[in-house]
Amino acid sequence: MMYLSFPFIKGELILMVPHRIMFWQIENVWVFYLLVIIAVGIFAAGVAAHLRVWGAVRRKNSGIPAIRFSKGALKRAVLDSLLGRRVLRGETSAGMMHLLLFWGFFILFIGTALLAIHDYLFPFLTGRTYLIYSLVLEAGGIMLLAGVFWALVRRYIQRIDRLERRLEDALVPVWILLAGLSGFMVEGLRLAYQQPPWHGWSFAGAWIAPAISSTAAMTLYPYFWWGHAVFSLCFIAAVPYTKLFHILGAPVSIYAQGAAAPSVLDMDRVEAGAGEFGPVDSIFFDACMRCGRCVSACPSEGAGEPFSPREFVQAMRRLLWEAHFLLGDIRFLSRGKADQVDDKFWYCTTCRACLEVCPVYGAAFEAVLKNRISAVEEGTHIPKLMNQTLEKVFKYDNPWESSKTNRGAWAEGMELVDLSNGSDSRNLCYFVGCTTSFDDTARGIAVSFSRILQKAGVDFGILGKKEPCCGDIARRVGELGLFLEQTDKCRDLFDRYGITEVVTSSPHCFHTFRHEYPEAGFNARHYTQVLFELLTNGKLRFKNGMTAPVTFHDPCYLGRYNGIYDEPRKLIRSIPGLSLVEMNHHGADSLCCGGGGGRMWQDLEGGDPQMSEIRIREAEITGARILVTACPLCRIMLEDARKATGLNETLQVMDLNELVLQHLEEKNG
Amino acid sequence: MTELNIIVCAKQIPDPEAPLSDVRVDGEKKEVFVDAPNVISPFDENALEAALVLQEEAGARVTVLSLGRKVSDTVLRKSLAAGADELILLQDNAFEKLDSHSVARVLADAIQRIGDCDLVLTGRQAGDWDSGQVGLMLGEILGLPCISLAREIKVEGRQVQVKKNIAGGYEQVRAALPALVTVSNEVGELRYISRTRMMKMLRKASSIPSWSSGDFVSTPDALQGMEIKELSSPPDMGRSCEFIEGATLEEKADQLVAAITSF
Repeated sequence: MMYLSFPFIKGELILMVPHRIMFWQIENVWVFYLLVIIAVGIFAAGVAAHLRVWGAVRRKNSGIPAIRFSKGALKRAVLDSLLGRRVLRGETSAGMMHLLLFWGFFILFIGTALLAIHDYLFPFLTGRTYLIYSLVLEAGGIMLLAGVFWALVRRYIQRIDRLERRLEDALVPVWILLAGLSGFMVEGLRLAYQQPPWHGWSFAGAWIAPAISSTAAMTLYPYFWWGHAVFSLCFIAAVPYTKLFHILGAPVSIYAQGAAAPSVLDMDRVEAGAGEFGPVDSIFFDACMRCGRCVSACPSEGAGEPFSPREFVQAMRRLLWEAHFLLGDIRFLSRGKADQVDDKFWYCTTCRACLEVCPVYGAAFEAVLKNRISAVEEGTHIPKLMNQTLEKVFKYDNPWESSKTNRGAWAEGMELVDLSNGSDSRNLCYFVGCTTSFDDTARGIAVSFSRILQKAGVDFGILGKKEPCCGDIARRVGELGLFLEQTDKCRDLFDRYGITEVVTSSPHCFHTFRHEYPEAGFNARHYTQVLFELLTNGKLRFKNGMTAPVTFHDPCYLGRYNGIYDEPRKLIRSIPGLSLVEMNHHGADSLCCGGGGGRMWQDLEGGDPQMSEIRIREAEITGARILVTACPLCRIMLEDARKATGLNETLQVMDLNELVLQHLEEKNG
Repeated sequence: MTELNIIVCAKQIPDPEAPLSDVRVDGEKKEVFVDAPNVISPFDENALEAALVLQEEAGARVTVLSLGRKVSDTVLRKSLAAGADELILLQDNAFEKLDSHSVARVLADAIQRIGDCDLVLTGRQAGDWDSGQVGLMLGEILGLPCISLAREIKVEGRQVQVKKNIAGGYEQVRAALPALVTVSNEVGELRYISRTRMMKMLRKASSIPSWSSGDFVSTPDALQGMEIKELSSPPDMGRSCEFIEGATLEEKADQLVAAITSF
């Protein structure tokens, strides 16, 4: 009797246990089983094809570290999949839509599996369990339909910029819509005829049912049932052949990205083919469902340059399929648009913004780097200026066409210790870097930082004209042989003079030292960390200066690559009078100035406006008087952009060192 | 079709791209001192690239010749790393500071010793002295048709088809093989040779053939050195920049006019 207490029950009181009659009104059930076998077969073949390609990629590139077991990566993959954390982040609307789709689909999937268990193994979906089951599945169906409807609105009515409209983009949601609606119709028809007292638990079907006469329901039911079956089975079969594959691929990719051993390059790996794609790349390409978050985040594409991370990833996916699968690209529905990449990958600034937003943690820029490695090995498709720049790094140890002998010229008259004289044993080495040593604008960073260290009473030295290039440029453009030669030069020098503590001007040198040097026997820090330490130890005392709003541009290799966001901000806030205002893009969301990844030394035609000009306009909008950054490349790019946009008087571009020195007490320390 | 035999003449010079501060002109000793690594002269690299493109397109055997008192095989092996089939060094004390005509004679003797040759490519001029004479003289001595300043080279049958630079454009000319073509930079930069590829090439034990004067020069006594009459640094092109001050545009314009007229 307890089932009858449910308030929505209409009609006669029938004392029976709620349950579902399987294959009600359906004849020739064997046809259904045949269709199931076909659909599952097609599905399995598609999945097997993916595994085959991943395996082939893995066999071809034995030099790449394998995907290990990682508890952390597994946890991340599960939580990200279930909660849609990455999809939600920064885009609530897309995230909610995805949650509806995911949970709707997931509930229906589990529900169908339970039904199968109930029917074939042991019946348990009866009574109260069945009613709750009905209610939850009903909710799942509604969520799925709402999600699909929302997705269609976003793509075809709101026409959100980053969303593409290829054939499969329309087919997939419409197909789900048909499968879902037909499901509810089947339910409605069944309820209309059977009119069980518990039909209120299937509230959507119960809402349809009263509109249908009992005889019509009886006649129509088999047609809708078969329709629903075919729609649903086709959906299952289509998963590996469309972007739906991300249902399987995304969790695998999230896991693989987290579980692949981080790799420091050495000569063996370079010679084994570091430019080849590994299984982690291949899985990422297959998991990509063209959501286009990378497109919104990419500063190069944002400035109207021809490179697009999404097109690039699609082209690479196709390349791997064509190389490793007899029938070529498996996603025939999205073949319509040619994903041509050519040499556009030279545009990538390796700013890492795409990785920051990618729901499957795909690093398109890492794939870009591999293409560059291959291009450098081949030698014929390198932009002319890049070709010359690499030659210069090799011959003159810097990319700036400058003489080695002038490297320490900025320090003339500053009475700095040259550690390469070997007479001094102090071990903090200020590694100035090529750009800071040679570029007129950037030299101010070296002078200011040295002055600050002097005023704070820090013992340190420089390497003068012996300082080599750290190899960042070579690494970023894929000239790994040259990069490793540079790492040898630096390490030998540090070893020879007993240097164990290194501080750099450039986040690029810092990152390279910290993460990419094989067997580094020294500790590398960026100057912002050293300044912050001096501040916390009370070694920096600021005077009262002007009152002005200041904004901070996060350099990619300081922020996104190394997570240093707070130190520079705390330094700025500690200067009396200055107030920090943030730009629209800041922190992990910072917008690249366009100077990284070797772009500084390439003659590629930039966008209009340039990346740096877009950035300087963002700074202008904040109303800040000073745009502070902490990287010589950013400093140069933004200064040039300031001049190019004519923001002469209103906005000043400064390096954090210059700002700190300007506000330091005369008798600091 | 028999394989095309291409000979590329490549000169080793101090890097012409060296920073200016590393270059010193000694007027008294009449010498230029360059504190920079040696490289293959850039136009000769262009010639090598043109040869390698022909090698890829039509199949060719590319031989590189380099002449000097002492030629570094580390520098010249770059040509092998790039894809040349053979490198021959022509080294002898007698080859120091030869004039262009003598260089051409020595190269001609070497090419005749090699024998099979369908196409000789040289840079339009060397990156150190920029004389631009050796290529054409070499063609003359070998009795080959010459095309200068090539921006594009194609071989069709037994003919070479060349787009050559002329003022304001190019003209398309043809010559029967064997022929000599001097190559301009428009054919394209030499492909980049990665350090790994270069190191592999240097690690190879194979020795590079080196011919001295006695091996092949037909008239060693007729060789003449280049005589430098005078050598001086270019005049100091001092630059100065003055910012025009003024409260209004009109004021700035007046100041500008005043500044220009005062020159």
